This record gives sequence, C-alpha cells and structure tokens, in this order.
Amino acid sequence: MKTRIFSLAGIAVLLALCIAAPQMLDAYSLGVALQLLSWIALTQSWVTFSGLTGYVSLGHAVFYGLGAYVMALLWQSAPLWEILLGSGFAGALLALVIGYPALRVSGPYFVILTLGLSEFFKYIVIAVEAGLESSGRLIFGAPDPETLYYIMLLLAVVATLLTWGLARSRWGAGLRAIREDETAAETLGVPVTFLKIAAFVISAFIPGVVGAVWVLRTTYFEPMQLFSPTTSFTIVTMAIIGGSDRAPGPIFGAAFIVLLSELLWARAPHVYLVILGVLLVSFVLFVPKGISGQLAWLMRRRRA
Amino acid sequence: MSFLRVENLTRRFGGIVALHDVSFSMEKGEILGLMGANGAGKTTLFSLIAGNLPPSSGHILLEDEKIDGRGPHRVNRLGVARTFQIVRPFATMSVLDNVMVGALYGRSRTLSQPKAREKCRAILDEVGLADRADLPAAALTLAGRKRLEVARALATEPRLLLLDEVLAGLNASEANDALDLIRHLRDSRMLSIIVIEHVMKALMRLSHRILVLHDGRKIMEGAPAEVANDPRVIKAYLGETRDA
Amino acid sequence: MDQLASTQLLLSALVLASIYALVALGLNLIYGTMRLLNVAHGELMMLGGYTSFWAFELLGVGTLWSMFGAIALTAALGALCYVTVFRYVVRNRELAARLESNSLLIFFGFSIIIQNGLSIAFSADQRSYTYLNGIFALGDARVELNRLAVLGVGAAATAACVLFFRFSRLGLATRALIQQRDAASLVGINADRIQLLVFCVGFGMAGLAGSLVSMTETVTPFGGFPYTISAFIVIILGGLGNLTGGILGAVLLATIEIYGVALTSSAYRSILVYGVFIAILFLRPQGLLGRKMR
Ligand SMILES: Nc1ncnc2c1ncn2[C@@H]1O[C@H](COP(=O)(O)OP(=O)(O)OP(=O)(O)O)[C@@H](O)[C@H]1O
Ligand SMILES: [Mg+2]
Repeated sequence: MKTRIFSLAGIAVLLALCIAAPQMLDAYSLGVALQLLSWIALTQSWVTFSGLTGYVSLGHAVFYGLGAYVMALLWQSAPLWEILLGSGFAGALLALVIGYPALRVSGPYFVILTLGLSEFFKYIVIAVEAGLESSGRLIFGAPDPETLYYIMLLLAVVATLLTWGLARSRWGAGLRAIREDETAAETLGVPVTFLKIAAFVISAFIPGVVGAVWVLRTTYFEPMQLFSPTTSFTIVTMAIIGGSDRAPGPIFGAAFIVLLSELLWARAPHVYLVILGVLLVSFVLFVPKGISGQLAWLMRRRRA
Repeated sequence: MSFLRVENLTRRFGGIVALHDVSFSMEKGEILGLMGANGAGKTTLFSLIAGNLPPSSGHILLEDEKIDGRGPHRVNRLGVARTFQIVRPFATMSVLDNVMVGALYGRSRTLSQPKAREKCRAILDEVGLADRADLPAAALTLAGRKRLEVARALATEPRLLLLDEVLAGLNASEANDALDLIRHLRDSRMLSIIVIEHVMKALMRLSHRILVLHDGRKIMEGAPAEVANDPRVIKAYLGETRDA
Repeated sequence: MDQLASTQLLLSALVLASIYALVALGLNLIYGTMRLLNVAHGELMMLGGYTSFWAFELLGVGTLWSMFGAIALTAALGALCYVTVFRYVVRNRELAARLESNSLLIFFGFSIIIQNGLSIAFSADQRSYTYLNGIFALGDARVELNRLAVLGVGAAATAACVLFFRFSRLGLATRALIQQRDAASLVGINADRIQLLVFCVGFGMAGLAGSLVSMTETVTPFGGFPYTISAFIVIILGGLGNLTGGILGAVLLATIEIYGVALTSSAYRSILVYGVFIAILFLRPQGLLGRKMR
C-alpha cells in the first residue's frame, strides 16, 4: 500500500515536470526531451506486441516511416489532428494487412520477415518518390517545438498506459500465454490468431503518429532516413535493455540510451552504435529481464 | 443421443497411419479408460478430439454438434479440455497465472479478474497446488506440472476432460490420491472424462468402460473385467515391458 | 526479348548463383545444426571483402591468394564467437528456451558492431579495386576474368563443402546432428566439436564469398545485409539444413534476380529480392522444397 502511494506520487511529480518542461528548458534541451518522449512512445508500442507475445519485430520502423510519409504527403491539406490520426491509422492498417500472413510464421522467420518487410516498403516508397520525381520533401510552416513536445508527451503517456493496461488485462494474460507456449494457449481457449493480430495492429498505431510528429520536427522527409532499420534496432535495444515485460522498462531503456546518444552520437556515431550493439548482446546474455526486471528483483529481495 | 460420438476417425502422418478408422461413443458423466501400447495412437486421438490436429477423415460430434476442423480454442469453448502428456506449462508465469489463462478464456470466460483469481485458487486447492500458487511454473516438479495441467484444464470449465497420463511419475500413494481426485472431479462437476493410463490396475478401478487401441485400430471396448481377460488385449500387451 | 536469351545474362546468373550458393551454405550449416540464424552473415562477407581489398591495396596481393586470409580471419572469428558466446547460450537453460529469437538478437548486435567497427576503422567509403579485369570472350558474350574467377572458386568451394558434409566422417556426424539433435548425442557424437567446426566453416565460407565479391562489387561497411537476406531466401527455397537443396535455391534466386532486373530496371532490384522473400514466407511458410520449418 505504502509503495503504491509512493509510486503514484512519483508519477504525479514526473508528469508535472514533463508538463512544465517547455517553460524551464532551452531549445536544445527541449529537443532532447522531445526525442526521449518519442523513443518512449515507440518502445512502449513495441512492447505491447513483441514484449508480450515474444514475436520479436525488427520492422517497427516501417510504421514510423509510413506515418511520416502520410504526414509529408498530406501536410497543410487537412487539419493537423486529422493527419496525425490518419498517420496512426495508416500504420495500423498496414499491420492489419501484413499481420495475418506474417504472423503465421514464428521464431526467427518472423523476426527476419519483419526486417525484410520494412526494407521492402522502404524501397517501394523510394521507387514511388522517384517515379514522382521528388527527391525529399520539405515541410513548410510546421508547428513550433513546444506544440510538438506536448503532442509527443501525450503519445508517450498514452503508449505507457496502453502497455501498463494491456499487461495486466485479460488480453495481456492471453498474449503472455502465447509467448510461453502457443499450442497450450490455444488449447485453453485463447484465440491465438486474433489476439496476435490485434496486438500487432494496436502496436502499429502509435509509431505511425510518432513518425508523423517527427517529420514535422525535422521538416524534411527522406525515405532512407525515416524507414531506416536503425530505428527498429534502437527500439529493440531500448526494450531489451529496459525490460520488455512491463511498462517502466521502455522508460528506463529509452532514458539510458538517449543519454548515451547525447554523449556520443554527435561526436562519434559509429562508436555509439558499437556500444549499442555490445549493450544489446550483453543484456540478452546476462540481464534478460532488463533494468526494470532487475530492479524489481532487487526490491523483492530487499523486502524478503 | 450420446454425449460424444467419434465416427471412423483416421489420421495419417506422411506414411504412418497413427489412427485407423476408430469409432466409439460415450455418455455424459462416464469415465472412459483408453489403453494401448506405446505408439498406439492414444495421444493422437486426444489431439484430434481437442482440435489440435485435423483428422485425415472421419468426424467428432459433441452432443450431435460437429467439432472436428474447428481449431482448438473453439473446441475448448464448446467444453473440451485436455492435458498434455509432455507437459507444456507457461514456464515463466506463476502457477496461479497459468491457471488464470484457462479461467479468463476457455468455456467459462470469467471476464472479471478477481473472480477468476478466486476460482483458480479454489481449483489449485482441489488439485493440491495451493501452497505453490505464486511460484513460477518452471519451479514445479514433474508431478506438480502434471497437476498444473489438470488445474488449467479444469479452469476452462470443460464438459469433457481428456487426461493424458497424469499419473505417470507418481508413487503409489500419490497415484491413489490422484484417482480419488479424478473421481471427485467427475462427481462434483458431472464431467465426462477420458483417461489414458499405462498403469492397468489404476485404469481398471477408475473406468466405467475401457477402450483398447493397438497400432491405431480399436481392438476392443468393454467393461474393465472383460478387457482384462480378453485374449486380444493380452496378446497386444504380451512381451511389452511397461514402464508405469 | 532477344536479349533475354543471351549468353551474357546466363553467365551473370551463374556467377550470382555461385555466390549465393556459397553464402547460403554457411548460413544453412549453422542454422541446421544449432538452430541459430546468423543475421551477421553479410557483415562477415564484408570483413572478407575488406581483407582482400587491403591485401591488394597495401601489399599488392591478389584476391586468389588473399581469399585464404579472408577465410582464416572469419573462421577464427567463428571459433571465437562459438567459444565465448554460443557455447554458453546453447547450454544456458533460460537462454536456450527461446534460443532462436535470443540468438538472432545476439547476431543482430554483432552485425551492428561489425558494421560500425568497420566504419570506424576504414570510414564508410565505398571501396573497390581492379584485379583480373581482362576480358574473356565466350561466343557472343564477353565477361571479365574476375567474374569467371568468382564463378569457378564459388562453385568449387560450394561443391567441396557439400561433398565434405556428404561423405566424410565428420560430415556424416554433422548431418546426423542436423537431422536429430537428441538422437545424435545418444549415439555418442561429440556435439561440441561439431558445433565448433560448423561455426568455423560457416563463418569462413562467408569470408570467402566476401573476398570473391570484392573483385566485382564495391565493399562498404553496410553492404552486407542484402546478402544475408538473399542467403536466407536461398535456404528457404532449398530447404533448411538441406545443403544440396541450397544450390538449387541459389540458381533459382539468381535467375529470378538477373532476369527480373533485365526485364525491368536495376532500380527495382531491392524490391524484387525483398518481394520474393516476402512472397515465399507468406505463401509457403514451410519453404518450397523444404521440410516444415518450425
Ligand atoms: N506429429 C507427428 N508427426 C509424425 N508422426 C507422429 C506425430 N505424432 C504422433 N506420431 C506417430 O503416430 C503414432 C501414434 O503416436 P501417439 O503419440 O498417438 O501414441 P501414444 O499411444 O500416445 O503413445 P505413448 O504411449 O507413447 O504416449 C506413433 O507412431 C507416432 O510416432
Ligand atoms: Mg501418448
């Protein structure tokens, strides 16, 4: 009970800080905060599907890129909110279309299939853009960073609540059962195919919106960049490092890596990525439950 | 009208015919024993009834409703639950959460989690796992895992329960308790149960009727006493070294 | 349409097929014996490619010699990888429970490390060199000698490996392991030694393939992934763990790719290859010739 009050108070303080942040931070720091929030939203959305079901997706960038593309195409032809929702639905729709055939394969096939799908759509968009004779799209009159920050904060909060809620819900129990043993799950009445596709679709919505917001931030759409597999890789690494089975995990993972990237990315991007690779390997090998799982374990041990 | 009717069921795996033209039926509340040597097709029969495998030909009817070809989760919702001979616990989930999956989905579809939790604790109590409810399932012994299989199946509130060698690995007194448990389950829930068991004596005591499979064919069906003395059964088992 | 019947295209397809066969072989061996999907396979190729590039630039050593260096380097890396990481992964019960996904993440980490390590060491520039570029005329087709070398060495190495695993004692033991892990350890096959061998051969063949490719294509730190995908398509086409089937798969994919591009445009090469890959997994998740693949 006491811990519950503490954590609720902690969350309230954290939220208040997040809301007040634009007033306290300079432009550069606000940019970093925006980045952090976008990674939290992306990683949470990954966890709602891959973390719970164990179907590791290395193609989350495709939804992000698609959302960005929708925004780049529709910007100023409709109200901002409508395009943002449209971007989210575009991601969800793509997930729905590819979900059924893709989720029939499992294990490493699924993992590499998602990577292949993401590359496939990247080259499709490149070909379409080349066909339209457009080389990159500039976005004029994008909203100011503060507005984008609040949209992203909303997304991060929604994504976190989604993970949190899903993980404790009836669906969460079903998805975990699928992760542990799909045959046993379906024999106990879990509608395996439906649940997997539903989780996949839900998890694709948020990255669609995040991509749309992000392209407004950079004001430039370039498919190579927005469909980059590095995005997927970073998401997976954040989830693995933070812990992919509970809502605090992505927050830890994203915070840790954004900090690391702040220190290193601008000066030595390749060194940063090497370190990221080493971290991914080490966590898979030695801390499979991630930072949040490790913390939970430590706390339980101290109490016992 | 019989409760369960199996008609001319055949299942092939490539060239192997695991089950060949098997038909039988059973009544509500009946305990049907299923015996046969290793590889006789017993587990395959369960997989077909529970929908884990589609039959190559033939039909399965539950209260005159065709259930073959529907997929396991739909069959489960119609009231068929099975346990796995090679246990399949959700290893990193707690014992209670394992059973919760059955209660939250399954035929019962208890949508409220507190209610489901209460129900599952009661079931764990019944099968004797109450004290291990919060351990991860991976921490259970084999005997514990077999009970977990039963508990999970029960949580779905089946009408027909398929038990695949749940006594294996138990010592004599544990096995006796388990027999009592199975009888109690049947009485308290009006369950129909099919039991696969290699321990002849236990099966004889438990079952109302026994069906014998050999090389995928039904070679005999009858009261326990008849089956025990039937020359075909004795022949099928002759020279077999049974590991109980 | 005339152009489609040309010897030129046929030769291109054969050259590409021999590379694909070689690349897929290594991937197939490691997957077949240990259920580990090495997504860093293409990066190993790039390592081999850089070895040959630098051997040529700095020492003036030709690829036909430096390829042995490439094999040695990548094979040693394979041994290191197995001894330090994968021996532990296979034995650790918790990791082995989700071995396939876990190992894939580990290899994925490796691929990022190699890509960026190469960038740090050699910059992200595209590297190429001119070696064996004499023209050989074959009927109406004209082909550079280095492409013939790719074809010859690639085909020979693939054949040698397939024969080795078909007929040698160690090869038979490996195939026993591919077919039935549990039974193999029962009949006293030393799985650990075979796994080490498989890692060395699998990595080494990737290094060789990269070395060969460096004669005709540019080498970059990030150029490996498309090869991983191609290799993966090949082993799905040919059947997982089926080494001979892999050769067939390689010919099939190379044909589709070369003739597909000839019919459309080279801008569509990636779409074509990824499209084939996705179509295969969508339509026949168990592969074309393969056994069921779970
Ligand atoms: N998935 C499968 N693929 C191929 N063959 C199978 C498969 N499942 C079962 N078989 C074969 O079908 C036959 C019947 O197997 P089944 O498991 O039903 O026997 P069983 O009576 O349960 O035996 P046991 O007493 O050993 O549990 C065996 O020959 C077995 O090898
Ligand atoms: Mg059996």
